[in-house]
Amino acid sequence: MSSYVITIATLIVIYAIVVLGLNVIVGFAGQISLGHAAFFGIGAYASAILTTKAGLSFWMALPFVILISGLIGLLLGLPSLRVRDDFLAITTIGINFIVEAVFLYIPFFGGALGIGGIPKIILFGVKLKGGAFFSLCLMFLGVVLLVCWWFTRSWGGLACFALRENEEAASSMGISPMRFKLLAFVLGTAMAGLGGALYAHYMRFISATDFSFPLSITFLGMIVLGGMGTLWGPVLGALLLGILPELFRPLVNYRILFYTVILLLMIRFQPSGLLGETSLARKVFSFRFLGART
Amino acid sequence: MQLFVEQLLNGIAMGSIYALITLGLALVYGVMRILHVAHAAVYTVGAYVGVLVFHLTGSLLPAFLGAMGFCALLGIVIERFIYFPLLKYPPYVPLIGSIAAMLAIEELCRLVAGPYILTFPAKLPFPAIHFGGVTISETLMAVYCITAGVLIFLWYITTRTELGLAMRAASQDISIADAMGINTQAIMGITFIIGSAIAAIAGILVGIYYNEIYPTMGAVPAYKTLALIVVGGMGSVPGAVIASLMLGVAETLLIGYANIPLPRDALAFIAMIAVLMWRSEGLMGSK
Amino acid sequence: MKHAVLETKGLSKHFGGLKAVDKVDLDIHPKEILGLLGPNGAGKTVCFNLISGVYRPTQGSIRFEGERIDTFAPYQVAAAGIGRTFQIVKPFADLTVFENVLVARGISCYRSFLKMWRSWKSKEEREEAMKTLERVGLLEFADRKASLLPLGNLRRLEIARALIIGTKLLLLDESFSGLRHEEITRLETLINSIRESGVSILLIEHNMRVAMGLCDRIVVLDHGRKIAEGNPRTIQENEKVIEAYLGKRGRAHAA
Repeated sequence: MSSYVITIATLIVIYAIVVLGLNVIVGFAGQISLGHAAFFGIGAYASAILTTKAGLSFWMALPFVILISGLIGLLLGLPSLRVRDDFLAITTIGINFIVEAVFLYIPFFGGALGIGGIPKIILFGVKLKGGAFFSLCLMFLGVVLLVCWWFTRSWGGLACFALRENEEAASSMGISPMRFKLLAFVLGTAMAGLGGALYAHYMRFISATDFSFPLSITFLGMIVLGGMGTLWGPVLGALLLGILPELFRPLVNYRILFYTVILLLMIRFQPSGLLGETSLARKVFSFRFLGART
Repeated sequence: MQLFVEQLLNGIAMGSIYALITLGLALVYGVMRILHVAHAAVYTVGAYVGVLVFHLTGSLLPAFLGAMGFCALLGIVIERFIYFPLLKYPPYVPLIGSIAAMLAIEELCRLVAGPYILTFPAKLPFPAIHFGGVTISETLMAVYCITAGVLIFLWYITTRTELGLAMRAASQDISIADAMGINTQAIMGITFIIGSAIAAIAGILVGIYYNEIYPTMGAVPAYKTLALIVVGGMGSVPGAVIASLMLGVAETLLIGYANIPLPRDALAFIAMIAVLMWRSEGLMGSK
Repeated sequence: MKHAVLETKGLSKHFGGLKAVDKVDLDIHPKEILGLLGPNGAGKTVCFNLISGVYRPTQGSIRFEGERIDTFAPYQVAAAGIGRTFQIVKPFADLTVFENVLVARGISCYRSFLKMWRSWKSKEEREEAMKTLERVGLLEFADRKASLLPLGNLRRLEIARALIIGTKLLLLDESFSGLRHEEITRLETLINSIRESGVSILLIEHNMRVAMGLCDRIVVLDHGRKIAEGNPRTIQENEKVIEAYLGKRGRAHAA
C-alpha cells in the first residue's frame, strides 16, 4: 500500500476516534458541541508536553492525557451545560477560540511555533510508523467502539438517550440532567484527547492552528453526514469527509467549493445522515447489524 | 490624552461596524431562532459588489444601492433554500448548513474575484472635523453618521410602523404571531432583506475604512458577532448594538492604547463567558 | 389518625404579581385517591409542578412521608418514590415503548456511578418491563417506536413509566383526557388496582364522572385557593364549587 494511502487512512482512523467522542455528546446525549477540536488539541498538547518536556513515554503519558482531557471537559462543561441550547453552541465555539488562544499566546505551549520533536510511539521496542502505526490506531478505534457499544447498553447510556429525547420526562424518572450531560461530555472529551495524543505522535509536530474552529465544524459534519447517534455513523462520516477532499484534489482550485457545496447539499437533503433514520441508504440497505439507534 | 481620544473614536467606529453586522444576526435570530453564520458571507459579498459597482460607475451611491439590493437577494435565497426547509430539525442542522453556505460563498468570492486583496479607494462625502488637536476623518464621520442613520431607520420601523409591530410580535413568539394572522413567512423574508442590506452597508464601510477587501474578511466577524448577540441577549437588537459598541471600544483601547497583549479575537468570547456567568440571559435578554 | 403520605402547608407559588397557588393545604393518606379539581387556570398543574420539583414554592412546605421535599429537584422527587404523568404527554419519541419503560426501571442505578455502567440487556429486566406493559395493556406495542403511538396509548405509556417510579405516590395529570370509553373503564380498573397495591394517588381530572367515581376525597381549587374539600357527594352539592365551575348564574340554575 502506498504511503499516501496509509497517511490518509491513519488520519481517518484518528478522526473517527475523535468524532465517536463527539457522537457521545451530540448524538447520544443531545448536547451541542461546536468546540470539539479544542479537546482534540488539549490531548495533543498534553501528550506532546508530557513526552518532550517531562520525558515520559507515550504509554506512560497516555492515562494522564485521557485524564486531563476528561478533567478539562468536566471543568468547562460545568458552566457550559447549564445554559440553553443556542447559548451552549456559542459557548462551545468560544471554548474553541479561547483554548486556541491559550496555545498560541502562552509560551509554555510553544506559542506560534508550536511543539516539535514529538517522539514516535515505541511498542515492544519498535518505533512505530506507516502500517504498524496505522494498526495501532485501528486497535484504539476498536477500544473506543467497544466503549461506545457498551455505553449504549448501559443504564448511563440509556439515561443520556432519555435526556436527549425529553429532558423534563427524564428528570421525572430520576435522571439528573446535569450529571448525565456532564458524563457524556467528559466521555466525549476524553476520547477526543486520545485521538489528539495519537495525532501528536503521528505528525511529530503540532501548533495551535491545527485545532481551530473550522476543524470543529468538520467534526460535526462527519457525524451528521454519517448519521448522528448511531454506532458506526461517525466512522462512516470520518471516512467520507476524510476521502472527499482527497478525491477532489485533482480539481485543485475548485476543491473547497465542491467540498462545501456537497456538505451543504447533504445537510439540506439528508439531515439525518447516511445511516440515520430517514436516510436513503437505510431504506435501500436496511443494515440492522450496523447498529440500531439505541 | 490625545492618543486615548483617538483610540476611543476608532473604537466607537469599530463598534459601530460590529453593530451593523450584528444587527442582521440579532434580527434573524429573533424571528427564526437560527444562528445565521452565513450572514458574514453576505457582508463579504456586499463589499465585493460595492467595489465592483464603484469601479463601473465611479460613484458611491450606486455602489451602496447595488450592494444592498444584491445582498438582500442573496439573503432571501439563503433563507428560502437552506433555513426554511430545515426549521423542523434540531438547531445544529441549519447551523451546519449556514456554515457550509458561508464557506461556499467565500470560495466563490475567491474564485471569481481572486484571492488577493482588493482596494476600495473611495472618498466618502462627509466632512472631516477637527477639534482640540484631534481629527475625525471623513471615514470615521461616515461610519458614525451612516450607523446612526441605520439605527434611527430601524428604530422608526420597529416602533412606529405596523410592520415593526408584526416583526416584534414574531420575534416574541412566532406561533402566536402566526395564529393572530401575521404572515410570518413574509416577516421572515423581510427580516432577511433588511438584515442583509445592512450587512452590505457594513461591508462597504469596512472596505473603505481599511481599504482592503478579501474573500475571508467575514471569517472573524462571523464568530465574533455570535458572541455579541449572546452578550446582548439573544434576539435583542438594542442589546446587540450596545454589546457591539462596548466590544469595539474595549478591543481598540486594550490593544491600541493599553497595549495589553491579549488575543484580540478571543476577547469577545471571554467577555461573553464573563457576562453569561453573571447574567445568563445576556445584557438585555429576557428569560 | 393515619399518618399522611404527602402533606402541604400554606403552599404558595407567585409568578410576579400572579398568585398561581395561594396557601393551599393538602394531605394525602396511604391507599387514598385524592382528586384535585377546579376550573381551568385554578392552579392544579402548578401544584403538581410544585410537588414534583419543577417549581420551587414561594411560600409554604411540602412533606413527603414526614420529610421536607420543597427544595428537591425533579429527579430527587422521583428517587423518593413519587411518579407523575404530564398533561401534555412527553414520551421518549425515538425510543421504543419497551425502552421508554426501561428508562423508568433504571431509577435505582442512576444515582450510583458504578451501577450506571451495568448493562440493561438482561432477561430479568425485559421480563419486568414487559409485566408493567401488560398491566397497562401495551404489551403488543413493546417494540414499536413511541412516536408512532396514538394519544390514548401514549397516556398509558406515561402511566406505565410513572407506575414504576411511583412506589408510594402517583401524580396523574388528566390521564383520562382523550381516551375512548373502553379505555376509560380499563384505566379506572388499573388505578384502583394501583391503589390496592398500597400506592396513594393524586389525580387532576376534568372528566367529572370519572373523578367522582374514583376519588375517595376531593379538593377543589379556584384561582389558586382551596375552596372546598370533602367526599365526592359533599363536593357535588357544594355551592362554592358549582359557582366556580358554572358562574353565579349557574348556581341559581343548579339549585
